[in-house]
Amino acid sequence: MKGPLIKPLVLTGGVYVVLKFVLPLFTAPLPSSLIFLYIALTVTGVLIFTTLSEQAMEGVFGPVFRFLSGEGVGGAMQTARLGLLVLFPLLVGWQTYSSTVPSDHPPAENRTIHPAPPGEFAGLSNPIPNTPENVMAGKGYYAAYCSPCHGAKFDGKGPAAGGFSPPPANFVDPGTIAMLQESYLFWRIKTGGVGLSTEGMPWKSAMPRWEVELKDEQIWKIIMGEYDGAHQKPRTWE
Amino acid sequence: MRMRKSGHRAGLLLFIGMLFPGTMGLPVAGWAQESVAVRATLIADAVPDDPTASAWNAIAPSEFPLSPQVHWPTRILQVTVQSVKARAIHNGKDVAIMLEYADPTEDPDDAAAVEFMVGEKKAHFAHGQPMAQVEGGPVNIWFWKNKDGKAVDMTAKGFGTLKAQDDQDVKAKGAYANGEWKVVFTRPVTTANNETDTQFKPGDFVNISFAVWDGKKEAGGDLKEKGSQKAISSWWYFRLDPAPNYTPYGYAALAIALAAGFQFVVIRKLKKGSST
Ligand code: HEC
Repeated sequence: MKGPLIKPLVLTGGVYVVLKFVLPLFTAPLPSSLIFLYIALTVTGVLIFTTLSEQAMEGVFGPVFRFLSGEGVGGAMQTARLGLLVLFPLLVGWQTYSSTVPSDHPPAENRTIHPAPPGEFAGLSNPIPNTPENVMAGKGYYAAYCSPCHGAKFDGKGPAAGGFSPPPANFVDPGTIAMLQESYLFWRIKTGGVGLSTEGMPWKSAMPRWEVELKDEQIWKIIMGEYDGAHQKPRTWE
Repeated sequence: MRMRKSGHRAGLLLFIGMLFPGTMGLPVAGWAQESVAVRATLIADAVPDDPTASAWNAIAPSEFPLSPQVHWPTRILQVTVQSVKARAIHNGKDVAIMLEYADPTEDPDDAAAVEFMVGEKKAHFAHGQPMAQVEGGPVNIWFWKNKDGKAVDMTAKGFGTLKAQDDQDVKAKGAYANGEWKVVFTRPVTTANNETDTQFKPGDFVNISFAVWDGKKEAGGDLKEKGSQKAISSWWYFRLDPAPNYTPYGYAALAIALAAGFQFVVIRKLKKGSST
């Protein structure tokens, strides 16, 4: 199948596939309203491009108009045409229904997992020397204070993890401490869930506010033990 | 003829392509969230305040895992009750919530509670403890203890601030059978105390959390679980089902009529255009 129609179709379909399915492999899925906008832009672009020449215009719209009007259309194509004429209003109806029906689902949770830390924590570096003794001490504190939730295997599956949503962070997962700096962990451990900004939804987090119970020095040691135990390295800039 | 046919097929494809944007918004999100909410079924009769009432049988429970309370001191590392099932019923005036959980022994100090946020401000699930960057609100706790045989309607805003309210609006009744507690809390859907009580509005999701204490006495005479040593959950969702609403069907019917009319006009126009 050839003709001037194919290119715009492939283009639009391609853009849709990329936005809807390929992009989410790398980043957060786009909201459908945004996808709609991009598709609308693509279609508009194609339309403007084709209407620039009369010949292209006839090439693109001629077949569409003939198909829709039913002129000289017969057999299976006629059935398809009628089907389409029934389907289109139904789809519009469905679309209207689903956009006006009150939601039956809890509000979407768009929790930001790693909001920016307060200024005073940015760029702090671990003042404790990274010696085997200190790492060991950190792991000892971790076992006592953190493992009930974050797990003895640092995987977020501690015996006390089940009742909490969001669940305790899984430090083995590359999406947690591996992408954070030590100063960020220091902030999170010290001030806990309640230290988060609004986007982090502090009211939901079970992460304790350890500054009430642990000394800074203990926290720095825990950070070393945590990275070591989870086989991760802190993220460093520069 | 061949040319023409492929042209038609292409036309069909384009038309479908143009429908695509319209269909993209179809509700796909939503199934991922199973047991994250308790939905109170709307009934016409009085809500059941008894755990053994047959009205509960018609309602599917939602189950929520519980954790030993290790979030703040005094902690506990192991608890008896691992999960709680919740059901709810309302009639627009009163709401009833039933908790159901396994506890091998019936003890005078067995206790259970549900917690809600109060007002517009967010509150931390741990007794509305203060948050560093967000101004929090109070929580409303409905507490039941076996030996008291009633509910206490409580308020807290931070650790150590928990106290019984002056206005007691909540009733509770427990029933123990076959190693299982069933506890029903009932309250009017709205109360006069906006500052201290959670207020429900059918259709709106609010946050709910759960707590359970096994009041068993240990060998030394101490209670196994008491105070902050309990089984807890963080926030989940709760809502009263709204009365059925048929207006979306009306809008849909109107949209179908408009779309069909639009189609009719366009095709007529095309036919006229091509016959001249
Ligand atoms: C009561 C359970 C609990 C305990 C105990 C606990 N945490 Fe957490 N922690 C959580 C939860 C839940 C989260 C995820 C929510 C959040 O980020 O606040 C979390 C998140 C974190 C994060 C953020 C990870 C990220 O990717 O953003 C760090 C770091 C962390 N915890 C470290 C610790 C350390 C160290 C300890 C022990 C000193 C500890 N936690 C003890 C529940 C707990």
